[in-house]
Amino acid sequence: MILYTVIPLDDIFEGMEEPPIPTIEMVVGGATLELEPLGNFQARVVRIISSDPRHYLTSLYQPGSILDLNIV
Amino acid sequence: MLKQNGYLQDVEEPDEGMPDDEQPMEAIKEFGQIATPIAPDPELNPYHCLTIIGQIEGHMVLPPRNKTTKYEHVIPQLVAIEQNPKIKGLLVVLNTVGGDIEAGLAIAEMLKTMNTPTVSLVLGGGHSIGAPIAVAADYSLISETATMTIHPIRLNGLVIGVPQTYEYLDKMQDRVIRFIVRHSRVSTEALRDMMFRTGELVRDVGTVLVGEEAVRVGLINEVGGVGQALIRLNQLVTQRTQGGIQ
Repeated sequence: MILYTVIPLDDIFEGMEEPPIPTIEMVVGGATLELEPLGNFQARVVRIISSDPRHYLTSLYQPGSILDLNIV
Repeated sequence: MLKQNGYLQDVEEPDEGMPDDEQPMEAIKEFGQIATPIAPDPELNPYHCLTIIGQIEGHMVLPPRNKTTKYEHVIPQLVAIEQNPKIKGLLVVLNTVGGDIEAGLAIAEMLKTMNTPTVSLVLGGGHSIGAPIAVAADYSLISETATMTIHPIRLNGLVIGVPQTYEYLDKMQDRVIRFIVRHSRVSTEALRDMMFRTGELVRDVGTVLVGEEAVRVGLINEVGGVGQALIRLNQLVTQRTQGGIQ
């Protein structure tokens, strides 16, 4: 895996030793979303896992969006 | 463009075969939330805009300090844009410091082979693997103050010690060179010359192209900004519709 970039590698990989952010996968509206739980019944979308291209154009599921988990 | 009958329906109906009043109930059972995606009307927004920012992240997740473009998200978006007959054109805005060579080439190849008219605009920076992405669009622009660094690739983390490894490096380098040369007006000799030039970059060999220099060497089509980019996109879309291809 080659990184072809102008940024020095020490700067890019700074923080690599820290453990990765724990995520969970959940099915939302037909698409599988990888979510980062934020506590307080909220989660941030990390990425979308779906074969339906339309899911990737849905603004609600964009990576970075915060979803409310209100368990009924 | 092929008519995909029934394949891509309106974005407003994500769940096929399910009566409308049952959809919210399904969502609550699955997730406890009524997910009603906001679907902007494609009639009002015939052009989509894709931004390529920061590092182009590939096979390895980079530490959070980095701003990244996740290629696994970009690729399906490009497929969705290509399939949707209501999306007439794509503007790609770049401000990137490069990144994973394969992810970058993947995005570049997708852009190149899309039938949807594409226009790229380099703002700020279009360095390293950003160069193939910029030239992959049907037409490319660069703003006056934007820079593009053309430099050799490096085998990060691997030791160059054996002849096979050097050939591998050359092969990888060739991938990038060939793509740029094939999709711009730079010759292979001129591009190699820029790539291996000494004296411009302090820690590396290479060339920094600022704004119109990128146009002068034949890499980018035109110096301009958002206004010109959209005018050009309009022209490409009109040409395509007049040509009879939907």
